[in-house]
Amino acid sequence: MSELAHRRDEADGSEKITRRGLLRKGAEIGLGALAGTLAYSSGALTAPAGGIALDEAALYAEAKKEGKVVWWTAHYQLSAAETVRDAFVAKYPGIEVQFIRQTAQVVYQRLTQNLKAGVREVDVFASTDEAHYVTLKRQDVFAAYTPLGVENLPPTFRRIDPDNTYHVGALGFVVLNYNSKVTTPPQRWTDLLEGKWRGHITLGHPGFSGYVGNWVVAMWDKYGWDFFVNLNKNNPKIGRSINDTVTDIISGERVVGAGPENFSLESKAKGNFIDIQWPADDAILIVSPVAILKDAPHPNAARLFESFFYTTEYSTALTKTFNYPLRTDVPSASGLAIDRVKWYRNKVERLDTGIPDAIKKWRETFGV
Amino acid sequence: MATIAARLERRRGGWDFSHTAFLAAAAVLGLMVTVPLLWILVASMHADHDNRLTLANFVEVFSQSIYLHPIWNSLVLATLVALVACAIGTLLALAISRTDMPGRSLIRALVFAAFVTPSFLGATAWIFLAAPNSGWLNRGWVALAGTAHGPFNIYSLGGAIFVIALYSYPYVFAFVSSALELVPSEMESTAALLGANWFHTATRITLPLVRPAIIAGALVSFLEALAEFGTPAFLLIPARQQVITTQLYLFFQFPTHPNLAAAYAIPLLLVTASLFYVQQLLLRRGRFTTVGGKGGIRRPFRLGRWRWPVAVLCGIPPLLSLILPYGALLGTSLSRAWGRGPVPPNLTVDWYRWAFANLGARHAIQHSLIYGAAAAAIATALALFVAYAVSRRLVPGAQLLGFVATAPFVIPGIVLAIGFFAAYARPPLVLYGTAWMLIVAFATRFLPIAYAGIQAALRTIDLELEHAARTLGAAPLRTFASITLPLLRRTVLVNWLLVFIPSLRELSCAVFLFTPATAVMSTLIFDLSDAGNFEPVSTLGILMMVLTLGLVAIAYRIFGGSPLVPHQRA
Repeated sequence: MSELAHRRDEADGSEKITRRGLLRKGAEIGLGALAGTLAYSSGALTAPAGGIALDEAALYAEAKKEGKVVWWTAHYQLSAAETVRDAFVAKYPGIEVQFIRQTAQVVYQRLTQNLKAGVREVDVFASTDEAHYVTLKRQDVFAAYTPLGVENLPPTFRRIDPDNTYHVGALGFVVLNYNSKVTTPPQRWTDLLEGKWRGHITLGHPGFSGYVGNWVVAMWDKYGWDFFVNLNKNNPKIGRSINDTVTDIISGERVVGAGPENFSLESKAKGNFIDIQWPADDAILIVSPVAILKDAPHPNAARLFESFFYTTEYSTALTKTFNYPLRTDVPSASGLAIDRVKWYRNKVERLDTGIPDAIKKWRETFGV
Repeated sequence: MATIAARLERRRGGWDFSHTAFLAAAAVLGLMVTVPLLWILVASMHADHDNRLTLANFVEVFSQSIYLHPIWNSLVLATLVALVACAIGTLLALAISRTDMPGRSLIRALVFAAFVTPSFLGATAWIFLAAPNSGWLNRGWVALAGTAHGPFNIYSLGGAIFVIALYSYPYVFAFVSSALELVPSEMESTAALLGANWFHTATRITLPLVRPAIIAGALVSFLEALAEFGTPAFLLIPARQQVITTQLYLFFQFPTHPNLAAAYAIPLLLVTASLFYVQQLLLRRGRFTTVGGKGGIRRPFRLGRWRWPVAVLCGIPPLLSLILPYGALLGTSLSRAWGRGPVPPNLTVDWYRWAFANLGARHAIQHSLIYGAAAAAIATALALFVAYAVSRRLVPGAQLLGFVATAPFVIPGIVLAIGFFAAYARPPLVLYGTAWMLIVAFATRFLPIAYAGIQAALRTIDLELEHAARTLGAAPLRTFASITLPLLRRTVLVNWLLVFIPSLRELSCAVFLFTPATAVMSTLIFDLSDAGNFEPVSTLGILMMVLTLGLVAIAYRIFGGSPLVPHQRA
């Protein structure tokens, strides 16, 4: 389904779906609770009807008393966040999801402001920068929690924090994106250094975008800083967000870029002339964690919401909006399962000092 | 006799009341400006890593070329924007207020519409139009002229100056044309009688008379350009140039350096202070009183055979700031995928359906209108009090109040937001999370506009009118209410609008201070444009424009004309 059609459905049908969902789910919960009570009183240990496990049902009941969950996310574009919200509300009616979608740096900055000011506002914090979590964990900001169903993650992505204060919440890649009118796109990152791409390349800025920062550190470690000195000879256009590469490619301003796989595919589905190439020398994997705050105003709703990340519904919502599903049993939008992608991932301790250093060197090389 | 004495006594009581009122205004001003500024000052003198008291931040930001270069760029940008905006704004104001040029009302309305447009939306539209390879104007040029490349490059310092000036000149226009409406044409007629042509009359008589308004307009354009974040971020990063605001934004990236940013922002206050001083120096050199007790007649200057050439010339700025960009936005808003261009199979009205049905978009529109209106009311009332106190020297230290009221304009929205957050997200006064956070922030940011406008208007009112009232025994507040305020009625409305409109489009403060419950149109648009969704961005931009103009039209119906609409005179 195209992004547009998807938006339209959401717009026309949101109220209808919610109300209908509310009735249906309400009935299910009522029955489930009733069945649960009956089963319990009769001593049977069978799972309650309605597909809601007892843990989840109890959590849901508590979460419902809290009434809402406040979620700050940088994980994906606004439409994806809206789709995730709608999927959650459809599964768990009676809990309002208030969210802000901003870039990673902005949500991080706002959270640190809140912490300084002692304002308790946010329940679930979802940045795209793993280094944020290392810093915040050091400050003892997060609550340790093992979300329900977290074992549905592929093994590589389980327990990225041994203390369970944060977990993988979204996966994204930096890949080669290009105008689909080009017949022979670059196959490897180093192909971007060829003279034929002079004046045709578009990049984001590591100071503005965590995805770009991640990519810069990866290229630096793979090929040395000379990669960028040589890349600069091809006079790339430098924007801010990694999504600016998509904008430049679909408008015809530039032809190839180091861009996001999700937004490129979403734009392609809308009918724009853009496609992606998985680089032979590795797509750069960006692991975006999610965490619950220690002083979350709605702790149970937060737990329920974080657990929702490992449901089929969440992965389906991501796929619908061209993001990578967290579960391997939900097919990805690119058609390539996560375990078949050839990827490279920066170590989080490398990012900690690597990104600030990369920004400094970037400014020396590119002048901005 | 006794009753008269009692009445005089009562009137003398008014003195105290006016003092109380101005002290209250000073207190509010202190909360809006001084407290957040003090927080920034405190931050600037503490190290980011260990919060130690130090001056190292200042040493760091003012010894490294990567930090000094953006300051130079900002000053060049702001100076050139002010010059261009002054030239365009004054020319248009003169032509519209003082001549019989055809199409005056139309151009006036178009200038006003340009003012409503946030410059980051204009910058987006100009990327569609004049990006070096993909811009529609460049493509058209290439198709027609057969050259390899088009002539325009919006990704340049010149491009950024062009775009910001296109949305700043309405400030100059508004100030100058409202001042011109107060200037009688007797002196111009005299000059004409003595044989001066229209050019000499304009440059020797008319323009010098409205110099305070031109200077106020230049000041506002300069500061607007200096504080601009969206347009430099869109146009100057690809041009490989940083300005102060984009550098400040980078300081707030992870790992953040808010204290370094505070140190970097403080010299801006020195710039304001010196600008303010220069403005005072310039104005001290002459008397600009033009409204006296004697009535004046305003007669349009007859352009003769120059009528149409002047009209065409005056049509160019609205064409560039309005017609071309909104054409581009409209085309995009009606496209399924804007990269394919506005061709028939790609056309749709679905984005408008989306905007009306989407709850988030509807709430954002309501919030923008309510917050903008409240902020404008606060800022106008405060500006009126302060400007009056300053110009009539009602309280000791009034000049200082005037300075405080002007200061916010040079604080980039991001920095003001940090100051606000530090000050009002903690007890005793917790505004964060409420609508007041945005309302007060908007009021603070745009207070200098209202202040400069009202102050310029006050300068043109002859004191003899107020002296007459005072001689008859009226207390200062009574004089203010029954003489000054009625004379300033239209100025007040205009300045309310001059705050309301930028509040509708304010971004750099709002983006840090909003919460999900208080999202406004500009933050929604920025969220969408950050993710490259130009179709809904264009749609919301068009809707914002239609809505604002509709409301402003209603306001005019209720309150009467304004300098932006031809003035009806008996």
